[in-house]
Amino acid sequence: MRGAWRDGDRVRRVEVVDLGAGRYRVTVDDVPLDVAVERLDADRMRLVTDQGATVAELTAAGARRFVRLGAMDFVLDRESASRPRGGRGPGGGLESPMPGVVTRVLVAAGDPVKKGQPLLAIEAMKMEHLIRAPHDGRVRAIRARAGEMVGGGVPLVEMEGEG
Amino acid sequence: MFRKVLIANRGEIACRIARTLRAMDVKSVAIASEADRGALHTRVADEAIVVGGPEPRASYLDVDAIVRAAKASGAEAVHPGYGFLAENAAFAAAVEAAGLTFIGPTAEQIGAMGDKRAARAAAIAAGVPVVPGAEGRDPAALAAAAARLGFPVIVKAALGGGGKGMRVVEDVAALGEAIEGAARLARSGFGDDAVYVERRLDRVHHVEVQIAGDGRGDAIHLFERDCSLQRRHQKVIEESPSPAVDEPLRARLTAAAVALARAIRYRGLGTMEFLVAGGGAKAAGGEAALYFLEMNTRLQVEHPVTETITGLDLVRMQLEIAATGVLPLAQDAVTRRGHAIEARVYAEDAAKNFLPQTGRAVKVRWPEGVRVDAGIESGDSVPVHYDPILAKVIVTGASRDQALARLADALDASVVHGVITNLPFLRALVRARAVERAAIDTEWIEREFLAGFAALATAPAPELALAAAALGERLGIPAPDRARAPAPRRAALFAALGRWRLPGLE
Repeated sequence: MRGAWRDGDRVRRVEVVDLGAGRYRVTVDDVPLDVAVERLDADRMRLVTDQGATVAELTAAGARRFVRLGAMDFVLDRESASRPRGGRGPGGGLESPMPGVVTRVLVAAGDPVKKGQPLLAIEAMKMEHLIRAPHDGRVRAIRARAGEMVGGGVPLVEMEGEG
Repeated sequence: MFRKVLIANRGEIACRIARTLRAMDVKSVAIASEADRGALHTRVADEAIVVGGPEPRASYLDVDAIVRAAKASGAEAVHPGYGFLAENAAFAAAVEAAGLTFIGPTAEQIGAMGDKRAARAAAIAAGVPVVPGAEGRDPAALAAAAARLGFPVIVKAALGGGGKGMRVVEDVAALGEAIEGAARLARSGFGDDAVYVERRLDRVHHVEVQIAGDGRGDAIHLFERDCSLQRRHQKVIEESPSPAVDEPLRARLTAAAVALARAIRYRGLGTMEFLVAGGGAKAAGGEAALYFLEMNTRLQVEHPVTETITGLDLVRMQLEIAATGVLPLAQDAVTRRGHAIEARVYAEDAAKNFLPQTGRAVKVRWPEGVRVDAGIESGDSVPVHYDPILAKVIVTGASRDQALARLADALDASVVHGVITNLPFLRALVRARAVERAAIDTEWIEREFLAGFAALATAPAPELALAAAALGERLGIPAPDRARAPAPRRAALFAALGRWRLPGLE
């Protein structure tokens, strides 16, 4: 079983092979790790490697996993092959980086824009975040109105031109 | 005493005020925006009223809607908490005009101390030192003042607050442009082009004194808090006593704070903020310089630090002063014991420029045996519209070292999953050598800590974390929500209330 997980700015590739009897070979970016797994309860398991034993606690929030190892927390996002993540979605769309309120729409459909030009402003918890043009081009469509609440990862602006 | 009090706030502070009201047998009324329906602060109160939309100005900042809710609920008094309308003179006036008691100072006192120029004048009149500076409109006179103060100086609009348009000027060459810019901003922002030039103090401690006044000229202090660990002027960790303050300096600070509180006949609880320069108590020989910064006419976020070392309940004191006009205890009855430290847990990504985070806090777990003032429990949402503070973890110890060690343990044992928090930042911060040695100042985090932390936080996660996530997916860990028992919400709440006990109040 193979999968990709976003870890901050990186995408990490993980492959799990069942060795039987609760033992697995997990390969993370070509680094192999032999792990014996013991399920403790609904969200915790004991992982034993040649480095020792660690309790891992997992919490799911959509495709996101919060992973607690000892007293350290890590946040990993399961990448799905069908939906590339990040600022630009399919079709030259620009997504909201976080849930918030659209405070200002600075361009209109059809406007020519320069790379780096602010297109739209989102406010969340007293901070304003500007969505900027990723390249020179033309605005195809604006998908939000000022004052509108939007979730994270929602397409807000569609661009034409070079990607 | 009042029979019913409306809490004009949300989150952890509304929950904390409700606890004292319950302990005093006073009924509590929570208000909520539509985004906060069912939020923890509405669950811990005796009743809750939805006052408006999610936007703060449509709910928590809507003076008329809140006063209407207070009247409709039959509350006799309003507690503003901190933030929102807590330092809004018009709100205090509207509450009093409706025949209710505002639990705090008079509207005039809020107005006067909220105006920087008036607050500074009041401090000078009370004999309290302020940061050396000069106000004016004539560029030549301002330049002369800057030369007299010595570079670097800070140039800013004379009116307004929050450091808006504040600029640090290193030498005379850059001064003209800075004065011009500040005047322009002052004119457009505040309708008055007066500019203020003040000496820039380097490597200072932020030390504040908690005071209480009876509104008739008597006032006491409840010692100091050190809030020097800040990031971008936002306090992160607070403690008392201040490691930068020795007994002579403490005597000077508290005397200055009490003198100012008495001079303005302050009513209720308030905080006088000071900058302490010259290494505080550590300066060899000579007196450490202290300068009045500003007054906060409300309960502070970090008030639990004072409660922990004095054994007093500050919200109870506020209610008693508001109800009786008398200070509930004399200065010599205020004593302190041990060392207390508080860490603020925020929904923000410290590795990404402290970007605020929202979402559902799927799992929330706090350490046992430690005071945690929290505004959320497992399953609660963190809405986008408000300040991202989630909770405060407060520990105590016989010494600063012991308290710091306990804070490290408490932060390790604190779990918030589902929304990204600053817990990893706090865990690293309390273990920093400079924090252990108290060799810090108000800009230390940005100057010496942040880059190293960011490098650590953006390093690849260990292979074992990835393995855990992938194995979890393979084995169905965590089990889907519906397969699990519903969270014992009320039980958890009462367990939390039971754990929260102030020394001396049992």
